[in-house]
Amino acid sequence: MVTLLDVIIRVLVGIAVLGFLAGSAMFLIWLERKVSAHIQNRYGPMRVGWHGVLQAVADAVKLLLKENIVPREADKLVWWLAPFFAVVPSVMAFAVVPFGKHIIVQDLNIGILYITAVTSICVLSVFMAGWGSNNKYAMLSAMRSAAQIISYEIPLTIAVVTVLMFANTLSMQGIVASQAHRWFIFHPSLALAFLIYMISATAEVNRTPFDISEAESELVAGFHTEYSGMKFAMFFIGEYTNVFIVSAIATTLFLGGWQGPLLPSPIWFLAKTYTLVFVLMWVRWTFPRVRIDQLMGFAWKVLTPIALANLAIAGLLLLK
Amino acid sequence: MIRYFSNLGRGFVSLIKGLVVTFKNIFSPIITLQYPKEKQAMTARYRGLVDLRPDRCIICYQCVRICPTGCLAISHKVQEDKKRTLERFDYTMELCCFCGLCEQVCPKSAIYMNKLYEVTAYSRDKLHIDLLNPDKYAEWSNIVVK
Repeated sequence: MVTLLDVIIRVLVGIAVLGFLAGSAMFLIWLERKVSAHIQNRYGPMRVGWHGVLQAVADAVKLLLKENIVPREADKLVWWLAPFFAVVPSVMAFAVVPFGKHIIVQDLNIGILYITAVTSICVLSVFMAGWGSNNKYAMLSAMRSAAQIISYEIPLTIAVVTVLMFANTLSMQGIVASQAHRWFIFHPSLALAFLIYMISATAEVNRTPFDISEAESELVAGFHTEYSGMKFAMFFIGEYTNVFIVSAIATTLFLGGWQGPLLPSPIWFLAKTYTLVFVLMWVRWTFPRVRIDQLMGFAWKVLTPIALANLAIAGLLLLK
Repeated sequence: MIRYFSNLGRGFVSLIKGLVVTFKNIFSPIITLQYPKEKQAMTARYRGLVDLRPDRCIICYQCVRICPTGCLAISHKVQEDKKRTLERFDYTMELCCFCGLCEQVCPKSAIYMNKLYEVTAYSRDKLHIDLLNPDKYAEWSNIVVK
């Protein structure tokens, strides 16, 4: 029996998650700009608020006020839906992310499977944006991105499966609980899985060195070339939410989730997640973009065989 | 097979090296300036706007004669004791090509080029500068040097 109170609580939780998501995306945009600036011996944003913390807010306001331009020959329905497909799967993935001991929207017993399923929808948004724009750069970018994301999903999923073999559960809280004595990253086989996961995740969220779908020098801005205003902002929010999601999943699967001494569990979870986000940014501002043949070769000739071998070795280790 | 793994290993090591370089740079000092607040000091030989020390000028007209664009104009008057005093020393900045010849030719270093580089004005008559006016560059010279 669902009472009115239940509904209100659910709505409030939903609003809290959306608020956290928007805030987190803005914070990450600011952090990315700061990290990139300091790596290049610059200041980065300094004017809006203390050390430019409100820069992302100013940018959001600017984007909200901008004109919404639709290309004349665009495939209107697909064009309009694409930004929503970029944000909604990321928001849906938040439903099973364990932020703390009891802070989880719904602890599904197939949590990690649900996340894998939901986050693969993101590739659709890229392809829809590319197709709907009726722009050659956007289309090329969408084709590349689809090939890239589908290729890298295989090693990513195999790395996740390796963890599941040790955890014996698909529930996110269950995976965290099974790391009570030892985080999975300290297991040699799973440390390799962690590396494979992080590399594939970088490719999944289309970040440098795997950002061929947004290669400015070749493709203008890639699939969101034609988007402006709030729709562009939604792609941006989706991108940074995805960065947060992959780091949160890596924290849950390999770094013991919210577990840690002394401090409350949400703080541990956020600290670990933002550390991984920082690593992703650090990688982004260090490495150059790889070529498309190198990218596909790396996925199929290096990551997938190693992930499979790692899976087999992990299985042998579990047998004894 | 051996080459495959040695390639991977060497690639991995080189990536780690790159990451170490960028990580060190995060904590190294920042070399850019917060531009409108902090400004870079100009070098000793920088040629900015033409400026004048009126007390040194001997009214020899050499700067006027050498100026390739004719942007300088002087007039003087002779007093009863045959001493000459400057009456006008006009500088038309919109014509100036910042060649520095006036500075080179001046025997008393009365005319020189200062270090101002942010020189824009909303109206053209602001570019017609009276070099005898001590406050001529007041609105352009609020430079804070780091």
